[in-house]
Amino acid sequence: MSEMWINMGPQHPMTHGLWNLRVQIEGELIRAVDPEMGYLHRGIEKISEDRHYNEVITLMDRTCYVAGLAWEHLYIMGAEGALHLEPPERAQYLRVLCEELQRIGSHVMWFAAFVQDLGLTTPFLYGMRDRDLVLDLLQSYTGARMTYEYMRVGGVRNDLPPGFPDQARKVLDWLTERFAEYDRLCLGSTIFRKRCDNLGVLKAKDAIPWGVTGPMLRGAGVKRDLRKDRPYAVYRQLDFDVAVADGADVTSRYLVRMEELRQSVRIVRQVLDWLDHHPGPVVAEHLPRWLGAPYAPVGAEGYLLKRNYPKGVGFSAIEEPHGEAQAYVVNEGGEHPYRVKFRSPIFANLGAASTYLVGYRVADIPPIMGSVDVCVGEVDR
Amino acid sequence: MSNATLFSVSYAFSHDLLFAVGRAIGGSVGAWLEGSWPVTALAILVFAVILFAASMINTIVLIWWERKLLGRFMDRRGAMHVGYAGLLQNFADGFKLFRKYTIRPREADGVGFYFGPTAYLVTSLVIFGILPISSGWNSGALPLSLLLALAIFSFAPLFIFVSAWSSNNKYSLMGGLRSAAQMIAYEVPLLLAVVAVVIVAGSFSLTTIVYEQQNYWFWGPLVVALVVFVAAMLAEMERIPFDLPEAEAELVEGWNTEYGGMLFAYFMLADYLRALVGSILVVLLFLGGWTMPSWVPSAATGFPLAGIFWFMVKTYVVFGVFVWVRASLPRVRTDQLLRVGWNRMIPLALLSVFLAAALVTVRCVPVFGCVPSPGG
Amino acid sequence: MQPDDISRALAPKLGERLLGVDAFAGTAGKVRFDRSAALDAFRVVRDDLGFGHLSMVAGVDWVDRREVLYVVWSDAAKEYLLLSTTVPSSDPHVESATAVWPAANWHEREAWEMVDITFDHHPDLRHLLTPDGYAFHPLLRSFKLHEPEELEVKVRHV
Repeated sequence: MSEMWINMGPQHPMTHGLWNLRVQIEGELIRAVDPEMGYLHRGIEKISEDRHYNEVITLMDRTCYVAGLAWEHLYIMGAEGALHLEPPERAQYLRVLCEELQRIGSHVMWFAAFVQDLGLTTPFLYGMRDRDLVLDLLQSYTGARMTYEYMRVGGVRNDLPPGFPDQARKVLDWLTERFAEYDRLCLGSTIFRKRCDNLGVLKAKDAIPWGVTGPMLRGAGVKRDLRKDRPYAVYRQLDFDVAVADGADVTSRYLVRMEELRQSVRIVRQVLDWLDHHPGPVVAEHLPRWLGAPYAPVGAEGYLLKRNYPKGVGFSAIEEPHGEAQAYVVNEGGEHPYRVKFRSPIFANLGAASTYLVGYRVADIPPIMGSVDVCVGEVDR
Repeated sequence: MSNATLFSVSYAFSHDLLFAVGRAIGGSVGAWLEGSWPVTALAILVFAVILFAASMINTIVLIWWERKLLGRFMDRRGAMHVGYAGLLQNFADGFKLFRKYTIRPREADGVGFYFGPTAYLVTSLVIFGILPISSGWNSGALPLSLLLALAIFSFAPLFIFVSAWSSNNKYSLMGGLRSAAQMIAYEVPLLLAVVAVVIVAGSFSLTTIVYEQQNYWFWGPLVVALVVFVAAMLAEMERIPFDLPEAEAELVEGWNTEYGGMLFAYFMLADYLRALVGSILVVLLFLGGWTMPSWVPSAATGFPLAGIFWFMVKTYVVFGVFVWVRASLPRVRTDQLLRVGWNRMIPLALLSVFLAAALVTVRCVPVFGCVPSPGG
Repeated sequence: MQPDDISRALAPKLGERLLGVDAFAGTAGKVRFDRSAALDAFRVVRDDLGFGHLSMVAGVDWVDRREVLYVVWSDAAKEYLLLSTTVPSSDPHVESATAVWPAANWHEREAWEMVDITFDHHPDLRHLLTPDGYAFHPLLRSFKLHEPEELEVKVRHV
């Protein structure tokens, strides 16, 4: 068969999001790749220039809707850097709790979608069932399952409800058993190994110049995790390991994400223990009144124009579930940020698509793109 | 057990009916109605209608069984709302598809587009006229029923390819090619495993094969043949782990992407009809058909239609195993599948033929007993 | 790594075109250079200083000028470094970084379509997030969010 370009998308059951993967194929083999993005571009960066610092939080949930709290954390740290503010320690622990629970939710969602593309329909539903438990936990204190709007400049909106730590520990115990079951269902299956081993190989020497980060890079053997290399929030005080695997193929990325799930459970347990023993405020004390509104914690007063607030630039970077994300927030002294710019890890990983897709078969596209863990909301913003 | 077969029952019914009608009408028309030609014709029609109804209802119940069992594997309940425990769900789905407007793409080939699914469904239905469900179902008038059933079963790749090609769609074409390649590759181990059974039973007639299993069912000594047959049957039925041609994840719906409405219903029905045929063949060839072992109390085997009842139980259990496989395994890629088919399944199938020949030579085996004399 | 170390590494190659290295909290510093020194600066930063990973290329519109910001990371030093150059809005050109870091490909496409900065010798400078043929550069301050625009978007037929 001669070479032809086929479109996988923008409406396609495999792509998990709104984008178009154009592949040039010759028979079954892939000769060239051209991902076409922008179907989900909503202008988040532009809209942010028109909103109060606290109002931008609603946009961050929708940036990557599977890992919303992580993006909230990213932006809030950038905004606090630009506004020269420091949140209290309890708020930082709560933010880390959010980010790690969100990491568990995001990776379980990745697992469900990934195995479903391979034909394993049962673990897909097991994954959704388990993710529901995590979402219930998040709903109990943020109030929502997906669009949380929980963090504020200077802290978080509210503290944990009573009884939360016990409920959370029960969920963590349940999840630990389930992760073992997932491994049995997947790694124990010869068909799974045959479909995933030596596929989508991306070696470290290609990954680093192409800006690839996250489980794709750690699956290639590079031990880089921003939570350890450049600790932010309270990660310096937490004890966990970085998940690394050597194969640089789809199976290694699977192993990395499963290990990250276990490490996240470990981190959440430590955070819960700390939160049990250290009560305190969840909002910074000397927050200027104009920053306290309009979504202020209970008890704040009305909306005041700020005066002579110093300018600044904030740069924050987090280890989001999909990789390294960065935010660059420019504060020119107004109530709205002058410019916000976000760096999405999947944006960079997809930009490198020609290095790990070319030369494989069309039937290999679902496992490979599944291992990249595409969430189009953050690519397009 | 009475000597009534399904055909004799329908013949008796049509005979009584036409005689009563003929006597009521009277005259030359009435006399003509009592002749052998109209009675036989009506008997054949009644026979066909009963078979058609039985196979269709069985297929729909099979789909229900799959949905509920698959649901339970996935920690959910399956269809619940339409009818008690969702029993009427598939009738509702079928009715919905029946009402749908069938769209044919302008560039699609008109004749092939309609012919493909229709022929696919019709050939799958025809097999039911050949398979015996109990000792009285067919009168045993087909000495080569197994061969005929498998031959009609293998028409499928042709019609799938016709449908795929006439859709005029890149995805359908790719799916159709994969599907045809898969089915043709797995015909060989399938038929070789059948050869093993035929060697031990000594006949191509399905009724005889069941009769030959009266001492022991063939799944014991011919376990290799059973494994090969089941795996090849899964590939023929295009179920997971072998359903890449239909894989949603890559090709939307594979070779039936362009089909909607009643034509899509034809494909779904034909797929499940073939699944039913596959399960029935496993029961007939390896699980003793409608007979039960002698240590089962006669109260359980003595009631009327007991043969059909146990046959259906076994068929649904076998299909349950197929559903279990579907729930647990991922998909195999087409080239890996073909490699396994040619490199592993065929040697195993040949091994099973060799073992069957050895069994027939040795006649009596320790655990299982003796092979009954062939040619019964 | 301190801003002085970076300054010392860059000064020989760049000379006058190095406009300064400022401290920036949480990073190794912010390097300001003239746009004509782009490729030299990139090569020194990647090869001599070990920043082999380009994270982000951002464009910021300061109305009369536009700033191009590069964020790079070093695995050895475990630090970020920011590089910044300014181009006048009347002539927004700068050399593409794809020759030094292939990762710049998509980031520069986005910076061009959002803030209208043309990257010379970019292999494939076309629309990424906005539709093909979209006539506006949305993140410029002159593009008003609340005013309707008249669009003529060309659709590409596959």
